[in-house]
Amino acid sequence: MVVMFQEDNGTSSVASSPLQVFSTMSLTRPTLLPSPSSSPFHSLKDLKPEERGLYLIHLLLTCANHVASGSLQNANAALEQLSLLSSPGGDTMQRVAAYFTEALANRILKSWPGLYKALNATQTRTSNVSEEVHVRRLFFDMFPILKVSYLLTNRAILEAMEGEKMVHVIDLDASEPAQWLALIQAFNSRPEGPPHLRITGVHHQKEVLDQMAHRLIEEAEKLDIPFQFNPVVSSLECLNVEQLRVKTGEALAVSSVLQLHNFLASDVTNNNGHSLSGDSASSLPLSNSRKIIDSFLNAIWGLSPKIMVVTEQDSDHNGSTVMERLLESLYTYAALFDCLETKVPRTSQDRMKVEKMLFGEEIKNIIACEGSERRERHEKLEKWSQRIDLAGFGNVPLSYYSMLQARRLLQGYGFDGYRIKEESGCAVICWQDRPLYSVSAWRCKK
Amino acid sequence: MPVDLDDSSTVSGDASVSSTGNQNPPPQSAVKKKRNLPGMPDPDSEVIALSPKTLMTTNRFVCEICSKGFQRDQNLQLHRRGHNLPWKLRQRSSKEVRKKVYVCPVSGCVHHDPSRALGDLTGIKKHFCRKHGEKKYKCEKCSKSYAVQSDWKAHSKICGSKEYRCDCGTLFSRRDSFITHRAFCDVLAEESAKNHTQSKKLYPETVSESQQKSPAAVESPPPSPSPPPVAPSVSVSVESETEPEPANIASSLVLPIQDSSDDPENNTLEVIMEEAPGTIGLNGSNDHSNNSKSVYAALFASSSSSSSPSLYAASSTPSPSLFPPSSSMEPISLCLSTTGPSLFGATIQDPPPPHFLTPLHPPPQPAISATALLQKAAQMGSTGSGGSLLRGLGIVSTTSSPMELSSHEAGFGLGLGLPCSSGSGLKELMMGNSSVFDPKQTTLDFLGLGRAVGNGGNNTGGGLSALFGGGGGMDVFGSGELSDKDTGRRSS
Repeated sequence: MVVMFQEDNGTSSVASSPLQVFSTMSLTRPTLLPSPSSSPFHSLKDLKPEERGLYLIHLLLTCANHVASGSLQNANAALEQLSLLSSPGGDTMQRVAAYFTEALANRILKSWPGLYKALNATQTRTSNVSEEVHVRRLFFDMFPILKVSYLLTNRAILEAMEGEKMVHVIDLDASEPAQWLALIQAFNSRPEGPPHLRITGVHHQKEVLDQMAHRLIEEAEKLDIPFQFNPVVSSLECLNVEQLRVKTGEALAVSSVLQLHNFLASDVTNNNGHSLSGDSASSLPLSNSRKIIDSFLNAIWGLSPKIMVVTEQDSDHNGSTVMERLLESLYTYAALFDCLETKVPRTSQDRMKVEKMLFGEEIKNIIACEGSERRERHEKLEKWSQRIDLAGFGNVPLSYYSMLQARRLLQGYGFDGYRIKEESGCAVICWQDRPLYSVSAWRCKK
Repeated sequence: MPVDLDDSSTVSGDASVSSTGNQNPPPQSAVKKKRNLPGMPDPDSEVIALSPKTLMTTNRFVCEICSKGFQRDQNLQLHRRGHNLPWKLRQRSSKEVRKKVYVCPVSGCVHHDPSRALGDLTGIKKHFCRKHGEKKYKCEKCSKSYAVQSDWKAHSKICGSKEYRCDCGTLFSRRDSFITHRAFCDVLAEESAKNHTQSKKLYPETVSESQQKSPAAVESPPPSPSPPPVAPSVSVSVESETEPEPANIASSLVLPIQDSSDDPENNTLEVIMEEAPGTIGLNGSNDHSNNSKSVYAALFASSSSSSSPSLYAASSTPSPSLFPPSSSMEPISLCLSTTGPSLFGATIQDPPPPHFLTPLHPPPQPAISATALLQKAAQMGSTGSGGSLLRGLGIVSTTSSPMELSSHEAGFGLGLGLPCSSGSGLKELMMGNSSVFDPKQTTLDFLGLGRAVGNGGNNTGGGLSALFGGGGGMDVFGSGELSDKDTGRRSS
C-alpha cells in the first residue's frame, strides 16, 4: 500500500540516505515536543498511573498515526516518549504500551528491509522448543481459554460420537496432551464403553508430537482402551489431507484451536494485484484466486467429518490499515493483560514470558507485518461462521450441558471477570464485556 | 414317567411342603384357563414346591440315545419316535385337574409363603433364577447383568437405543422414567431461574478451596446465617456422595469483593448471577455426570498436595495431576454483592476472613485496568473533555502543519467506525486532541487513514522517496515489494 502524499512539514529537509534522515531527525527535533531538559519531561515521570495510562494511549495513537502517514520525525518523537513511559514490568497499561511501541518501531524499521534484516540477523529466530512448550503451558495455566475450549471440544466430540465404535480425531495443532487425555478418560467412562480411538496430531515440531504420543499412549494403556496415535510432522499450510489417512467406516472429528486464522495470510493480494501467496509461483488474478482458507476448509469437508470444532480469536485484527488494527488490538490485548494483572503478580517471570513471547509476538505481527508475513489475522466469529458455512458445514449448537460445565469451570477455577456468552450456538469467552475467543462446532452438510 | 407328588397341600391349609424331585408336565387344556388376579392364588389350588435343582434345570427330559435335552416330556416323546424307540404321548387326564401353584423353596423369600405362590411354573423358575441365581448374562454395551436369558435379550435390544434426553444430558430409554426425571429436573431448573431473576440475590458460589484454613472459613459463614436455602443444600448433599469433604465442595461461600470498586467495568456480580442457574442445575443431576465429570475433572485434576480446585480433582479418579495449575494460580475470592438482599442474610457481608485476600492479589493500590483506561480515553475523546488533562501534561499534538485531505476519505473515516463504540471515541480522542492543540488543523479526519488505504496502486516514485523528502505522507511500511533499488531514491 503506497500512498503519495505531500506534506508541508517545516522541519523536514531533503536527505540523500536513510542515515541522514535519522540524523536530521535528531538535530532538528521539533520544538513542539518537550526536550529532555525541560520541566514537562520531569513532570511526566511524576504522573499518576491513571494519567500516565491515558497519556500512553494518546501517544500510541499519535505515533501510529504518524507511522501511517509517514511522518517519521513525529513518530520518532512519540516513540521516544513512549519508551520513557512504558515498561514491560510496570502496570498493565505500561506493559501493553511497551509491546505496541516495539511493534510500531518494528513497523517503521521494516520499511528499510535491509536494515531490518541486518538487525535481526544475529537474533536466534529459532527459539528452542522447550521454551515454546513452556510458554504454551503457561498460557494454558494462566488463562481459562484453552481449558474451556478443550472442554467444549471434547463434549462436542463425545456427544457426536455417541454409539460410534471407531473414532478418529484429527488435531490440527497437537501441542497440548491435556486435551486428549481428558477425552480418553471421558470415552473410557461412557456407558457403552470406549470406542476404538485413533488420534492424528499435526504439528511442525517432531519433539512435541513425540511427547504427546508418549503421554497419550501411556494413559490409554493404563485404562486399557484400544488406542492409536499417528503423528504428522508438517506445518498446516503444507498439509496434505492424504497424510491424515482417514479410513472409511470411522467417525471423524476435527479439532482446530487457534489455527485457521493463519491461513488468511497466505493469499493476501495487495492493491497492485500481485499475489503475495506463499507459493509465489502462481500469481492469480484477484477475482479468480481460490482463497487458501477456503480450499483448506473444502479439503476438510471432503473428509466428511462428523464434527469439527473450531476455536478462534473473536476480534477483528485483520483490518486493512494499521490504525484499524491498532485500535482493535489495543482493546483486546488490554483485556488480556488485565486478566494477567488480576491473576499473577507483577514480578512473576512467567507472566512476563507470556506477555512477551506470546502476546508481544502477536502484537508485533499484527502491527508491524503485512502480506503473507502477517499471520495473526484474527477475525470476528461472524465472519468465521460465514466462511465455514460456505464451505459446506452446518453449525452444531453447543449443548446446554456443555455450556453449563464451561461456566462451572470458570466459577470453580476462580476465573472471575470471565464470562461465556452464547452466540447462535457458539460459545464466546469474554473478559468483562470484551469478546476474546470463540468456540463453535460444525458438522458436514452433504 | 409317572409323576408323583409328595406332600402337596392346599394353599389355604397347612403349608407343609417339602421339596421333591418331581416332574410336572403342564396340562394342555382346550378350554381357556381361568386366570386368577395376580397376588391372589386360587385357594383351592394345589401348592407345589420344587427343588432348586428342578427349578434351575432347563432340560429335564433327556433322550437316552443322543442325550438331547427337552423342556417338555411331550417333545421328548416325539423325538424318541425318530430313534424308533417306543414312545407314549400322555393325554390330558380326563379327571379334572387341580390347579397348581408354585412356591419358591428358599425360605425367607417372599414367594415361599403359599399365599404368595406363583401360578405359573415358568414364572417360578424365572423368579428363582432372578432372585436366587447367579447372573450369567452380561450386557455388552452397559454394565448390567442378568440371570435369565430372556431378560438379558430384552435388555440388549433397547440398550443404547436412547430415546429421550433431558436438558441436563441424562439419557432415558423409557418414556416414563424420562418424564419422572424431567419433573424433578425442571423443578430445579426453574427454581434456579427464579433465584436468578430475583433482585440481586447473592448466589452461592462454588469456591475451590486450596488451603487447610479454607474449611474453617467455609464452616463459619454458613452456620451463622439462616439455614441455607434448598439449592445449596442440594448441592452439598449431592456432592457429598462422591466427595469426602462435603463442606469443601459445593459449599456456598460468599467472599469479599476484590478491589474492583474503582473499576467501573467490573460486573463480576453479573457473572456470578449468570452462572448460578448452571451450578444448581448441574448439581441436581449429579448421577449421569460421571463421564462428563471425567472430561471435566481430567482437565483439572490435580495432585492432592497442590493447591487446586479440589472439587473437581477429588471427585474424579485420583489420577496424578495432569494439569497442575501453577502455584501462582490459586483461585482468588469471588465477588460479593453489596446491594440487595443477600442469599445468606446480611451477616455474610461482614469482613471476610482475611486469608481469602490471598497474597496473590496484586498490589493494593487502586490499579486501574488497561481496559478501563481505554474506555476512559474513548469517553474523553468523544466528549472532548480530555483536552485539559492532556494539555496539562504538556502534550502538543502531532504535526504542526495541516494535512491535506482528499474528499473520499471522510467516508472512509466513517466506515472505520468500530463496532465497539468506544473505538470511535478513541479516534475522536486523537482527532480531538489534534484539534485542540493544533489550530491550523483544518478538518477532523481520521488522520492518515484514508491516505494509507484508499490509494492503492499509487506507487509512483517509489515508496521511500517520500520518506527522504520528508514530505511523504505514505504509509511507512510501503509496499511489500519495495526492493533495494528504491532505497537510494531521492525525493523529487
